[in-house]
Amino acid sequence: MAYPTLVPSSRSYNSGDYPVKTFRAQSGSESRILYGNRRTGMTLELQYDNITDANAELFLDHYDETKGSYTTFTLPTDALNGWSGNTDALDAATANSWRYDQPPQVSNVRPGISSVQIKLVGVL
Amino acid sequence: MAKIYTGRDGSLLFAGTTQAKVTSWSFQADLEVLETTTLGDSQRSYTPGIQGFSGSATLLYYKADDGSIDAGNFLSKVINAGATGVTTSDVVTLTLRLADGADENDIAFSAYITSASIGASVGEITSAQVSFQTTGSLTTASLS
Repeated sequence: MAYPTLVPSSRSYNSGDYPVKTFRAQSGSESRILYGNRRTGMTLELQYDNITDANAELFLDHYDETKGSYTTFTLPTDALNGWSGNTDALDAATANSWRYDQPPQVSNVRPGISSVQIKLVGVL
Repeated sequence: MAKIYTGRDGSLLFAGTTQAKVTSWSFQADLEVLETTTLGDSQRSYTPGIQGFSGSATLLYYKADDGSIDAGNFLSKVINAGATGVTTSDVVTLTLRLADGADENDIAFSAYITSASIGASVGEITSAQVSFQTTGSLTTASLS
């Protein structure tokens, strides 16, 4: 089962970082060692407000399908809808895939209507 | 026959009994809407949320021949000496009516009296202002 093809109400992206180790001397001098050439650890928070319970269930089903945070997956273009830049700038970087950072948070708004918050992390 | 309704056609019933000295009532229906706008949309969109109803009334503080106070039913719900305050037993049944002879257009509901005020001024008739908040769905809504 693929990630639900719904357009989020809001989105927050953090571009992660390259694997860098920083050493700081007592003098204040800083040395940095780059351990890899792939940026990772990007995070993406998606908020789906006031969707039907049936659609909210899709996220719970997908979370179960991916064995929680175990399996990685790619996002449909719907998740990046409204972004007019290149989609690869906002998606998991090359060779990265998304996994759940935490379980989907479902808030029941009224009978039949719920809001879902998704937090993903990009991993190699 | 066509008719324009006025204050003469209005009445307020407390538990089925018409209150004699009501000078005004108002009723407001509200609908909370839930935003369903998504990224990329240019216009906001909504889905219906929870409905709510509230209103207010003004009654003269009037003593009938039998000694009962017309506004007393309302005032006693929130102005009382009980230590328990307002409980679920204080819910009241109200009917707001616009009548054309036997043709009655009603809004009936259960409600809590949420505020009541009364005062006395030189040269003025004493009246009480009450506000109410409905609980649950309307039992009758025959305005149309």
